[in-house]
Amino acid sequence: MFKMLKPNPVILHKTKPQVELEIQACIGCNECLLACPALAEPITIDVLNRETIAGPISASVERFTHACYQCGACVSPCPVGLHRDAMMMWLKVRLLKDPKEVHMER
Amino acid sequence: MSSRKDRAVARVQVNHSECYLDKADVVIIGNGIAGLAAAIEARRHLPGRPIVIITDQPHPTINTPALKQFAIAKLTREQLLAYPAGTERAERIHVVDAHVEEIEAQSKYVGLSGNRCFGYDSLLIATGSSPVGLPEQMPGHSFDGVMTLHRLEDYLDFRRRLAEVRDAVVIGGGAHACETVMALLYWGIRVHWLIRSKTFMARMLDQVASEMVLNNVRRAGAIIHTETEIKGIVGRVGAVAGAITNHNQLIPCQLVLTCTGTRPMGTLTQHCSVPMQYKNGILVDGKLRTSVRDIYAAGDVAALRNPHTGLYETRAQWYAAVAQGRIAGAMMGGHDELARQPLGVPWHATQVGELSMLTVGEPLNEDNEVMILTDSSQGGYRRLAIVDNRLVGYLSVGTTQPDSLAIKHIIDEGHSIRDVLNALLKGNFDARRYLSQQKSHAVKKWITGQLLVPGSELNGTARTPGLPETDPVVPVLTTSQTNALPAKTSAEHVSRPLEEQLNTIPTISNQFKEQSVIYEEEPSPFTGNLPVVFGQKRDIDGCLFLKEDVENIPEEAELFIEDIGPFSGNLPAISDRVIESQKQSAKGQTIRPTRKLLTYVENGA
Repeated sequence: MFKMLKPNPVILHKTKPQVELEIQACIGCNECLLACPALAEPITIDVLNRETIAGPISASVERFTHACYQCGACVSPCPVGLHRDAMMMWLKVRLLKDPKEVHMER
Repeated sequence: MSSRKDRAVARVQVNHSECYLDKADVVIIGNGIAGLAAAIEARRHLPGRPIVIITDQPHPTINTPALKQFAIAKLTREQLLAYPAGTERAERIHVVDAHVEEIEAQSKYVGLSGNRCFGYDSLLIATGSSPVGLPEQMPGHSFDGVMTLHRLEDYLDFRRRLAEVRDAVVIGGGAHACETVMALLYWGIRVHWLIRSKTFMARMLDQVASEMVLNNVRRAGAIIHTETEIKGIVGRVGAVAGAITNHNQLIPCQLVLTCTGTRPMGTLTQHCSVPMQYKNGILVDGKLRTSVRDIYAAGDVAALRNPHTGLYETRAQWYAAVAQGRIAGAMMGGHDELARQPLGVPWHATQVGELSMLTVGEPLNEDNEVMILTDSSQGGYRRLAIVDNRLVGYLSVGTTQPDSLAIKHIIDEGHSIRDVLNALLKGNFDARRYLSQQKSHAVKKWITGQLLVPGSELNGTARTPGLPETDPVVPVLTTSQTNALPAKTSAEHVSRPLEEQLNTIPTISNQFKEQSVIYEEEPSPFTGNLPVVFGQKRDIDGCLFLKEDVENIPEEAELFIEDIGPFSGNLPAISDRVIESQKQSAKGQTIRPTRKLLTYVENGA
């Protein structure tokens, strides 16, 4: 019973190098953002991709990252088979890890 | 007297400034994605050095594959940007708006339009490709309404014309033609699609897959003419009125869109003072060096050697262009070692019609030793090409896209697929779990001593035959040029491949050693960093700990297993504080399954 309910954490998300590779493969079609129920601001894929990997995170992307509740609606529309949920997870991790470094000066 | 002397000095200075040569360490021709990716990568390695992109493209770098979304007005122009506006400035990459006319490879400068020159230390040619279009001799090829969709300008033109178009003809048998057909159908335009061969994407898809796609597009409303070519275009007062096929059929239309492929923009090679190897693309080795010293090529214009066929071919795809740009950037930044990661097998994932298509490696390989398995259940179609339990090609057409990059890495790394063959064939393959288990099996063997030296052979999977570690492109040695190119080239080029072969194994072993550390940041992209140790401790069969190891696991670790949250599972520990609090909460309760979690369990089971 316990085993059945216990998820294998491995299958849930991707590692940082994998996420970087996926962002490289992203063709920027915006399908994931169009499908997103949590997106409340006009964020474009170029900004999101760039800030997911490195550098400061802008206020709007930060709000979006907090709003993301990992529903996975962004995964199936991707024409290339990438995992935006995993990328968002890494944004969340970046925000938690070093808040001072990533916040943009406002 | 003295004033006269001053004047003379001044004149010399003026003269000097007139012939002053702008110079940069890294000069990149073209601001497509390969060029910009190279510039950003080079900036990482050369923080303070001048980097210049020379381009005559009137807009910043855009996501060219997203242009099909732009064609159906799903995206605005601003949303097409590949990098946020101002990235070039933020990265201190200087963009020069000019057309490069010649390359002086001996003196290392490029000649620009308007009699300007620009010196370089290393030069990257990333000029991309241009559409083939209709042949010059075809009657009516220059009528208004005959167009190709390649650049942003073409798409702007296309969208302006839509209001006047009721019927259109699309020519070509590739993915781009299919996208164009779907875009026209979206706008309610009647589409005739002319395909020269019997099948769609004859070089990448087999008969069954091609039929699936064509049926899908037919259902969407297109009229498909296979084995049909265009013979001429009929016009009325300078504008398209119809197209004539080789079956002598006249199709009335107002728009003829040619999607017959692209060819590399290699004209610069003819204007290079040292002959550059060129054959359907600039020939480059695995590190993107051309046959001319200090000149690299990347993106659509570069032709790499296909390790299977031995032929040089271009890979006009987004992912290849980004990857090549980054390798070229690392090379120009003086980091050979970063350029050592091979590009791997060809990979193409896209949407054709309403279906997702993925081809990785060579699914159509029909050699004797290749075993082909196909499956067309569950509304999709999958074709596997297998050699000795190793996947060499994967083709999938269906409503969902599999984890495409992970499958590419299975092929690249040459993992055995014996255990997951059925899942791969049925299309419900969980790549991430599989790869992590591969790693844990390897670690288990290493612990039990079945593998003597960690990583000397990664479970028999590390050495993949046919990763494109290609020989350098041999420079064209003509008598006039031997002086210009010092002996360095040949000697260096000959010795290098051997070095690289020796180096491949140690790199793997290093990264493998790190596996024994539980929380590490950056091991191999697709197999590392996964908490196999914690997650699978209870499952003795598939796990990496031996029984006695499990018994010896301290109480601390035991607690931690309980409370790996579903959403933080394979992520590095954030801080001790978080874990502490999780421990507290985990004492009383087991994991509460949320809906999301349940679906994962279902999928997993």
